Amino acid sequence: MLKIKHFIQESWLLIVASFAFGLLIAVASASLDARIKQNEKDKLDNLMKSLISDANDFQIAIEQAEIPGDRGRVETTDVYKALGEDGGVIGFAFVAVGAGFADKIKLVIAVDGKCEKFFGFKVLSSNETPGFGSKIKDDDPESDVDFADQFKGAPAQEFELIKTGKLEVIKKIDSQIVAISGATVSSDAVVKIFNMYTDKIREQLRQKGLIGDGK
Amino acid sequence: MANESQPTTGLYKETLLAGLWRENPVFRLLLGMCPTLAVTAAVKPALTMGLCVIFVLVCSNIIVSLMRNLLKPHLRILMFTLTIATFVTIADLFLKAFALTMSETLGPYVPLIIVNCIIICRAEACASKNGLIVSVIDALGMGVGFTLTLCVLAAIREVLATGMIFEVQVMPDAFVPWAAMGMPVGAFITLGLMLGLVNLTNKKKAKSSCHEV
Repeated sequence: MLKIKHFIQESWLLIVASFAFGLLIAVASASLDARIKQNEKDKLDNLMKSLISDANDFQIAIEQAEIPGDRGRVETTDVYKALGEDGGVIGFAFVAVGAGFADKIKLVIAVDGKCEKFFGFKVLSSNETPGFGSKIKDDDPESDVDFADQFKGAPAQEFELIKTGKLEVIKKIDSQIVAISGATVSSDAVVKIFNMYTDKIREQLRQKGLIGDGK
Repeated sequence: MANESQPTTGLYKETLLAGLWRENPVFRLLLGMCPTLAVTAAVKPALTMGLCVIFVLVCSNIIVSLMRNLLKPHLRILMFTLTIATFVTIADLFLKAFALTMSETLGPYVPLIIVNCIIICRAEACASKNGLIVSVIDALGMGVGFTLTLCVLAAIREVLATGMIFEVQVMPDAFVPWAAMGMPVGAFITLGLMLGLVNLTNKKKAKSSCHEV
């Protein structure tokens, strides 16, 4: 009994403060949560729209698609279908996650309506090294040698990362991706994310009858 | 440190100004080095970080000052951390809601304010020993001092790294940007030079006051 009394005497302020601060955070979170979620949705919509510019609307095609990853981990992601002016499906987009150099890299990847070619990717979030790994985000419309440009129109199949400085190889659109100089780990991370998701998303789209069986 | 029994205007003024120069957290106390080096590549993130620190510093100093007589000595650091973590979480949520791009630019450095030495130092050295008014003034002085320092460092780095400030071109077209100034190496060099400059100024000041005596 004395021990309990001593415990309460010593720690009552900590217990009361923990409840009070917890309540404060809960109130702040509840009042800002809707806005935070809306911000995230708007950002995703904008990125998908910038990848599939002809799309009029995006609707969820597969909810919580399961993607088996490394070491038995399973990632889940929503797959969106991009609808054109006539209401037909002109592409698909999804969020893909993988380990980067410093932190997780989250990409938005878009493929065409037959899941044969990529429209490209945009970085949803990453903390790669500024000036090096951060170049995975570079997407200058006037430059045709950005890392991201190599994925635009590339076949939706397994990619291979190579290292070369030859401009004609960088500009060639195929399944070979040239790493960013000084950021091989970040480049490799992006390629691995593509390789991890592409086949599995295609398979699930086929199972749902959203694309042909490829025969 | 300020004495609660003599709360004069002069004392408040002295407390407020201490954070700006005499006890400047970055240049004089060398506290908060992590955000100083990490978020000063441009002025906007530096200013946002500074404002977040001011908010957390003022709120935590208010709470710590109010409960100073109830604090158990061996639990005080735990109480400080709990208080600071609460307001940092609120600041982080606020940024995510109203400045998503800036929140992403600052990345983990907003949650890392929890372990910012300036805030825990002010809670320990000032708020836990002084009344509400002195604690708030001290928080404002230290917070503004920290923000101004961050902004000065960021302005130098941003101009040299990009030729721009607040996305406005300030350097002539012939200027070749120093990309290194936007990277960690630029942060260390700028901070080192600024610290050297501040030390030199203080030494000269001390010498001249000695001669006057």
